[in-house]
Amino acid sequence: MANQKEYLRAKEGSNIGKIVVDRDLCIGAASCVAVSPATFELDGENKAIVIGADAAGDEELKMAAQSCPTKAILLFDKEGKQVYP
Amino acid sequence: MTQFKYLIIGGGVAGTTAAETIRQNDLSGSIAIVSDESYRFYSRIMLSKPNFFLEKIPLEQIFLKNETWYKGQNINFLGGKTAVGMNAGEKTVSLDDGTVLQYEKLLLAIGGFPRKWDPQKIEGSDKKGVCYLRTLEDAKAIISGIKTAKSAVCVGGGFVSFETCELLRMKNIDTTLLIMEPYYWANVWDETSGLLVEEYMRQGGVNVLKNEEAEKILGADKVEGVKTKSGREITCQMVVVGIGITFPVGPFKNCVDCGRGIKTNEYLETNVPGIWAAGDAVEFNDIVVGEPVQLGNWANAQMQGRVAALNMLGKRQPFRMVSFYTTQGFGLSIAFVGDVRPLPDRTIIARGSKESRSYGRLLLKDKELVGATLLNRTPEMAPISKLIEKDVDLSAKHAELADPNFNLKTLASS
Repeated sequence: MANQKEYLRAKEGSNIGKIVVDRDLCIGAASCVAVSPATFELDGENKAIVIGADAAGDEELKMAAQSCPTKAILLFDKEGKQVYP
Repeated sequence: MTQFKYLIIGGGVAGTTAAETIRQNDLSGSIAIVSDESYRFYSRIMLSKPNFFLEKIPLEQIFLKNETWYKGQNINFLGGKTAVGMNAGEKTVSLDDGTVLQYEKLLLAIGGFPRKWDPQKIEGSDKKGVCYLRTLEDAKAIISGIKTAKSAVCVGGGFVSFETCELLRMKNIDTTLLIMEPYYWANVWDETSGLLVEEYMRQGGVNVLKNEEAEKILGADKVEGVKTKSGREITCQMVVVGIGITFPVGPFKNCVDCGRGIKTNEYLETNVPGIWAAGDAVEFNDIVVGEPVQLGNWANAQMQGRVAALNMLGKRQPFRMVSFYTTQGFGLSIAFVGDVRPLPDRTIIARGSKESRSYGRLLLKDKELVGATLLNRTPEMAPISKLIEKDVDLSAKHAELADPNFNLKTLASS
């Protein structure tokens, strides 16, 4: 997919190094915002953006990604390996 | 009689999230999900979105759990079956195939169904080509219909019609929308909002007819046109009806307290011990608003599934959430935040204008914000939900709220 936005995460002790939002898949259901409002917001096109890549713990971040009804949130570990979905 | 520790009626997002949450916390208790659809859990919200509808993504991508998930989680999936009755004394639910299931704890996550036309009142409304959109099967029928249709009629003003009209226009189908009200979605918001939505739809090529209702569906077996109450005849090969939602509480209403939906407290517990409810069909005590509220959206149903499950597991957790719903079409972004019912005791403050194509309505109850509708103002969703969540006293801030250029984040962070 072409239209992906990457957000690097440098939170200490976290196993997640990068959050990617696939803007072509995102439909603005905002379930990620409901789970982790410190991490996600919707922009003017009703697409999820990351406002605080380091704001939430790994558990909350994973739950936010898993809550997406279009699997538009991808998580990568520090070595760059995709861990979700 | 088969017995389950946890019996879940409904295989959508609320029911499936509940089953998953239960299994994370109770590794051995037996769980069953009864679903009226034979498909495993899929993304219902995708059914009316372009990626799925225009077949830009593989069909398989709509499924949110793979085929082995249920077995791997030791969850019994009873697909293609409908609950038709229950006995709260004996703790049983009976299904349409005659099966009787006994439960220790029951979750009703029964969802909503599109309101259907009565062929007695609208002649011919049972013809082939009259479509409703709820299930994957419904969506497949519409997708197949649009491959040959040259023109279509959509009925009703709401999210379903807004999204369906856009999909039809993307396929270059001549599209007429019939709404019985004087402007789009008149029971939800004001005329300015309605007219702005219509403006975008008209620019997108939709023929919007207001104060109009279908009287008769024309054609032999299949739809060939719609005759309206004012006497217009519109040629079309399909009709998509989005005239509201009903909740299938019939089999349960003799046992649990029901209104339009199933009534629960803030723990999503019904009036009967051992029975909870989650998702679109629930009228829950909303502790953010301080009133019973019923909401139909993905994020709400998902979160309720999780919270109901935690309560079924014995953790006393209230459901507390500021809900969202958004959609985008014809270049217009629509967002609903919180409780948007225009009740008599609400003060409504408008921000922006139709001319600027950016218009919001903030709904206040007493001193506090409880909800908002936003047209081309989605970035305000975040500060608005914070203001609702934190119960901020806004009684002295009405002028700021009415100024479309005032940054709501400054109020939310104070």
